[in-house]
Amino acid sequence: MTKYLLTRLRQSLITLFLVSVVVFAGIRALPGDPALALAGEERSPAALAAVRQSYGLNDNIVVQYGRYIGHALTGDLGTSSRTGLPVADAICAALPVTLELSALALLLAVVVGIGAGVVAAVRRGKPAEWFANAIALLGLSIPTFWLGMVLVLGFAIALPVFAASGYVSFGTDPLDNLRRMVLPAIVLGSGLAAVVMRQTRAAMLDSLSADYVRTARAKGLSRREVIGGHALRNSLVTVVTVLGLQLGHLISGAVVTEQIFVLPGFGKLTIDAVFTRDYATLQGVVLCTSAAYILINLLVDVLYSVIDPRIRLGGAK
Amino acid sequence: MTDTRPVRDGGTLTVALNADPDKLDPSLAQTLVGRTVFSSMCEKLYDIDQRGTVVPQLASALPEVSKDGLTVTVQVRPGLKFSDGTHLDAPAVVTSLLRHRDLPGSARATELAPLKSVAATGPYTVELKLKQPYTPLTGVLADRSGMVMSPAALKKYGKNFTNHPSCVGPFKFVERVGGDRIVLEKDPEYYDADQVHLDKVVYKPIPDGSIRLANLRSGDIQVGDQMAPVDVRSSLTESKLQLFNSPSLGYQGIGLNVGNVNGTGEKPGKIDSPLARDVRVREAFELSIDRDLLNKVVFQGMYEPACGPISPESAIAPGVPAAQCPKRDVAKAERLLKEAGVKTPVRIEFKVSTSPESSRVGQVVQAMAKEAGFDVVLRPMEYATLLEETDAGHYDAFTSGWSGRLDPDGNIASFLKTQGAMNAYGLSDPKIDQLIADGRTAADPAQRTKIYGELSQRVADAHALIYLYRQKNYIVATKSVSGIKVYGDGLVRVKTAGYTR
Repeated sequence: MTKYLLTRLRQSLITLFLVSVVVFAGIRALPGDPALALAGEERSPAALAAVRQSYGLNDNIVVQYGRYIGHALTGDLGTSSRTGLPVADAICAALPVTLELSALALLLAVVVGIGAGVVAAVRRGKPAEWFANAIALLGLSIPTFWLGMVLVLGFAIALPVFAASGYVSFGTDPLDNLRRMVLPAIVLGSGLAAVVMRQTRAAMLDSLSADYVRTARAKGLSRREVIGGHALRNSLVTVVTVLGLQLGHLISGAVVTEQIFVLPGFGKLTIDAVFTRDYATLQGVVLCTSAAYILINLLVDVLYSVIDPRIRLGGAK
Repeated sequence: MTDTRPVRDGGTLTVALNADPDKLDPSLAQTLVGRTVFSSMCEKLYDIDQRGTVVPQLASALPEVSKDGLTVTVQVRPGLKFSDGTHLDAPAVVTSLLRHRDLPGSARATELAPLKSVAATGPYTVELKLKQPYTPLTGVLADRSGMVMSPAALKKYGKNFTNHPSCVGPFKFVERVGGDRIVLEKDPEYYDADQVHLDKVVYKPIPDGSIRLANLRSGDIQVGDQMAPVDVRSSLTESKLQLFNSPSLGYQGIGLNVGNVNGTGEKPGKIDSPLARDVRVREAFELSIDRDLLNKVVFQGMYEPACGPISPESAIAPGVPAAQCPKRDVAKAERLLKEAGVKTPVRIEFKVSTSPESSRVGQVVQAMAKEAGFDVVLRPMEYATLLEETDAGHYDAFTSGWSGRLDPDGNIASFLKTQGAMNAYGLSDPKIDQLIADGRTAADPAQRTKIYGELSQRVADAHALIYLYRQKNYIVATKSVSGIKVYGDGLVRVKTAGYTR
């Protein structure tokens, strides 16, 4: 197990390094001069030159990369060319927002998706399955932006139960936090819930017709034990794999959701950075997101063995 | 526009901006939304009033200009304190003006370039020496160049002043969370604190207009800045909301490449395209466009058609009213193209930004120009890329706009002077250059009006920048708030704002 972890960790670090190179080069390949993006409508040549100078944009790209990585290793991700605020601060401020949003969306997707998937499989051919399938189809088809606006119109304006925008940390005011996070979590989680539901349903149908389930039934186990203890547990391996793969979508989906609900998370930070050619912020955000993504993949792999001990990790006997 | 219903003390006002401001440093700041935030925390030597006239703010009177126009004396109001508690005096004004002029990367450097030296000649008297007479100076000092920063804070924070701005204003800086909010609170040291009712003002960037509107409806924000006509229309049906508007001093139009071969600000050259070669082709293109129709179709008739660099609302040398703009004349356009001997349809690549409004302007222009013999090909591009392409001279036509300045010079000089810093058109006309210089040095308002009238005509005849319309500043606020002021510079002033009793 330790050896496996170390190998995976080394692979992860190499991936992260490659990501940093690609991001660094990629951002610079974008058309649009950052100095111009920054200057906007007022752009005197002297001011533009000073901006390029102060952000080291005149240097060779390799020199720029070396300087960047050198600073990044010490935890200094540079300062935003637009606001002058340290990028690390911006990321630290945005991180909890996106993490909370993703966690809530994930929770929603898992609870609703697995629940509906099990019901649909167990109640095969009954109205419950038809209903669950219809809802899942809706969840997959409705565009995030539209669903967001409809929920705001319905539950923040017509029936003011939730807030239309903004973020208050859970620590400051838990109730207000939830009031602001429920709608975004629904918007972000709906698509994932639908995917989870479909996967759970399919896996459960497989499991329910498998020999071990028939044996369990023959042994006289209760319906709950058969479904929960045997069929569902085996189905979860597929579901966890899908969840792991979908987490990337969750993070990218957060970009749109955060725009709709004006949540100061990673997605919003990224979009703003792209449009203002704020290299430092963009690099910091992509690097952190990649690190998180790599870490999640690692965790998913480890989780496999916990859920199903039959899956052996490389090197283990 | 103002709203004068009585208000109570206390409360937090949340203002939604259409973009996240850039640096909160008056020397480096470059965005319009940033000016709105400054209006609450950084007062200027001069300001404008409801009618667009310059009035003293931190100065105690309008500047005195010597007969030769080379010495300007500014009297500063005594007894003012910065938000960090230190005193504002003449040396502080000197420090700020020199920083605005000399700081590397200063966005104020160009407009303060005519400033030779600044000195404090008394505790509250500042003397400015100029290289040449420069009438736009008062207008310039009524904008960010006139903001006075606390020398103590400048010394303490240096480059990091942007994260700890300290000026004189009704509110003082508390915190900024990038992309999320800028929080200001009432400054008890402020000289006019009796007029200030709110405890806090929070500025939130919400770029999407429909989301700004949804938040106004839900009550999460109280003021929505720079609302688009389509959102204004739908907000009018809402009984809880009120609308403020002011005409803008800026303009929007189409820039044509008539000589930009080496990049903006560089020496213009010859371009071998029908548009650049022959002014008659450019005139025909302009004549193919119906400004009124464009305004109706794209902006629901809520903006103002325009055909010159100076707004008719400008207090200094007003420009041409919309009614006097040339009308669409397809027959004449076709005749001109024939005279010019060009092969029709004349192909024009028109670079537009990716905003929905810009794209629709492009489509309407495309349809109208087609009838006169032009084949307009639209090239939508994201704003930063558009700037790079047009500054480099890689274009035939592009959407060119400017948010506007108080003094006409600020809307003309950089754009139309030969090798001007923002002359992306490559326009070069000695007569225009001369008129710009004359307008800067003339002190008599009547004479300036005459000069700028002549200049506008000359610019119109060059057809290098086709002025199309002026945006209006639409601000939507909830009715529970009063005391908001919106003037011609488009800034939302919340100094006297508060919740109604």
